[in-house]
Formats: sequence, structure tokens, C-alpha cells
Amino acid sequence: MELTIESIEEVLSHLYVDGGRDLDLRSVTFIDPYALLVLDLAVRDARATGRPLRVEWPTLPAVRRWMIDMRFFADTKAVSPDLPLRETGNALQPIMSIESERHVSHLVAAFERRLSERFPIDDAPRRRFLRILLELCQNIPQHSNATGDVPDPHGIAAMQDYDDGVLLAIADKGIGFRRSLALRGGMDDLRDTAAISSVVLDGISRFRDPGHGRELQRIFRLVRAWDGTIAIRSGGALLYHGPLGGDLYDVAPFPGVQIALRIPRRVFGIGEPPDGEPGVAAGGGSGFNE
Amino acid sequence: MKSTSIDIARFGRRLGTRSEGASARREIVAALERLPDDGQLTLSLHGVDVVSGSFADEAIGKTCQLLTSGAYGNRTLIVTSPSADLTEDLSDKLAQRKLAVLCHVEDAAPPWRVLGQLADPLVETLHLLMERKSATTKELAESLGIAANACHNRVRHLVALHLIREERVGISAPNTQYRFHSITA
Repeated sequence: MELTIESIEEVLSHLYVDGGRDLDLRSVTFIDPYALLVLDLAVRDARATGRPLRVEWPTLPAVRRWMIDMRFFADTKAVSPDLPLRETGNALQPIMSIESERHVSHLVAAFERRLSERFPIDDAPRRRFLRILLELCQNIPQHSNATGDVPDPHGIAAMQDYDDGVLLAIADKGIGFRRSLALRGGMDDLRDTAAISSVVLDGISRFRDPGHGRELQRIFRLVRAWDGTIAIRSGGALLYHGPLGGDLYDVAPFPGVQIALRIPRRVFGIGEPPDGEPGVAAGGGSGFNE
Repeated sequence: MKSTSIDIARFGRRLGTRSEGASARREIVAALERLPDDGQLTLSLHGVDVVSGSFADEAIGKTCQLLTSGAYGNRTLIVTSPSADLTEDLSDKLAQRKLAVLCHVEDAAPPWRVLGQLADPLVETLHLLMERKSATTKELAESLGIAANACHNRVRHLVALHLIREERVGISAPNTQYRFHSITA
């Protein structure tokens, strides 16, 4: 069992549609950063809403190790498997919080440092990646609690490299696109699919000022042009597009906005790792977290 | 013409958020206000590593919107950048606002380019005036091979966007005569 952009919906459906109170992840052999952030938020959401949730964590040491290295247990305050935290591991960029605009530049600097420590990246793609990261991160303090009634939108981000690309994930459990657009006026009765379509495909934001919006639209187009994968989830809607195509889907209702970008390595000007070097394909398939 | 320059790098090497952009805009607008009516402000991106669209919109896009609204007389604004990729998101944001700015890009040939949204006929007219430094509508129309009326509409649009400067040169009935100047001269 693998938890990825493509498969994490089964977990959310179990929890938020079927009302499941137990989550058995013992047989999980691989988790990507997007699935990890969604799990993080699901654990937090259960705690915040007082909903009982009992989780059996993966038993495979490589997966447990990666989750620890990604600071999953530190962030969720879930009971950690008994493994010491290593200073150096396969984790590229552990989970970082985005609580305010002040955190954005700090986070972007950290992500850039981790990426450039691992790869020699050309200047132009590095800048393009940082611009994307800046936009995605600042959306959280800008929009996730625009109504002011979310006690903890808990914006988080993480990143991991694979044989075929780099996967960046950013997520929060704030108000989501539908409630954000409702603040604009005249857009207060949208379904989640219509809201996601308005924001990402039409470039509309909660502000009427013409300079606002279109950032996600531009990022969506850019990732598609790179033959990468992009998943943007909000409420009960998921906009997914990968190299083989994509669509807008009705999915289990879940608070906030969750975004994953799987960017091919060639975009960064970095080749595939040589044979024998640890690594797995980000696009699913068999693999381990080390 | 009096001109002044602001190094955007003074606000940071990596410029991303709207609140950072709003802070920068306050200084940019203050610099504009200190200029005379025909003054020019140059915004330099040298020393900046990354400029996000959100920062660019708050700091530069909204300033350009104020300029074209007439709030700052005939003042003009240009951008200089060491590379084209640094201006990508700024260009997108200006286009979103249906605005345009002239940018001198060091690593590009030709170095002057229009950021934002400007229709091809207007770009053609703008480039011709930049070559000539100054001209009347009649002179431009002849060189472009278009009717004077059409050329008049083009230069009016460029003046409204503060991409060229107009100078009243006399009154000859029935119309006031103007000469138009490149702001990069």
C-alpha cells in the first residue's frame, strides 16, 4: 500500500465519508510529502474536532524513519515510533509551518538551501521555483483564515526528491476556496468544484482588485507545460493533472487547501541519479522511502 | 527632466509577499511625489534574486495604476533589470492590470522591452518613437504608413500609459500641436 497524491483520497474517504475511526497504515510501503501533509492535517483535524481517531503507523522501518526525518510526529505530536531522529537522512525538506507572512521568506530560504545542497540547480529554474514557492506559501497567511474564524489553519509545507522529479507539497486546514470566494460577494453559493475551477482555471480571487488572483492559474499552466503533475484540493473537490491528463473530481470533504507539485528533474537542470543511488519514483509504483 | 532611482534590492534580495510589496510601494510613491511633474523614476532590480508576482503587483503594479490614473501628473516610471527572467511575474501582473512599463534588460538584445500588456501596433509606434527620440503624430504616421487619425489614437494611448511624453508646441487652428518624446531618450 502506498500513500501518494493519487491514493491518499482513499484514506480521506474512509475518514470523512465512511466515518472511519481507525486508520491502519501498517502495510504502507511508501508515503509522498503530499500524502504526509494530508495525514498530518487529518490527525490535527480529528484532535481539534474531538473526533476519535486511532492510527496504526507503518511498520516498515524505512517508512517510519522517513516520517520521523520529515518531522511528521514532531509536527502532529502523535506518538512517535521509537527511532532516534537522525541529522542526515533521505528527507529533503522536513515539514515546516507557515503561521504568518513573516515565516514565508524564512521557509523559502530553507527550502532553497536544502534543494541546492542536494543538487546544483541552474539559476533560472531556481528562481522560477522560488517564485512558485513564495506565491504558494503566502497564500496561507493571506487567505486560509480570511474569515477570522479558524483557530488554527496550520499551514505546512514539505518537499522530497525522487528519481523522476521533486515533489513539493503545501497544505492548510483553513477556509478553502469556496468560503474565500464567498467573501468577494456574488460568489457565495458555489460548490467546491466550481470554486476550485474559478480560482485555478479562471484566476479569480476574493479580491476585486485586478492585480489579485491568477497566481495558481499561472502555476497550474506552468506545471502542465513542464509535463509535471499538479494536484489542488479544496473542500470536496480535487483538480488533478498529470502527464497522462487529468480532471476535476468530487472527493471527500476536507478542510482547507492542499497542493502538490511534482516537477520533473529536467526542469531544474538536474539529471536522474546514477544507478545504485537510493531513490524511488515519485509517481507511484514500487518503492520505499529510502 | 529630473530623474531619480530606487534600488528595489533595498527591500530585500528575495521579494515575495504582498505586505513587503505594500511597504516598498510607500517608498516608491514618496519618491514619485518628490519629483517634478515631468520627472522620471527608475526602479532597479539589480541585486535582487527573486521577485514574486504578488510583491511586484503591490510595489510596482499598483504604483503604475496610480501613475496612469493621473495622480502624479506627467511623471514616468521605468524599470531596469539584469535579466529577463527576473521580470516575468511583474510583466504578468502588469498585463493583468492592462498596464505596461518600459524595462531595460541588460542581458537582452535589444535591451528595451515592454513589460505588461501592449497591443502590437502600439509597440510598433513606441519603438519608432524610441528610435527617433521625438516626433509629431504626422511624422510618425508617415513613417508607419498609417492614417494620421489612427496614429493619433496610438500616441494618445501611449501617453495615457505614461510610456511616452507629450509636449505642447503651439496652437494652430483648429487643433493644438503636440510633439511626442521617448522617455528613454
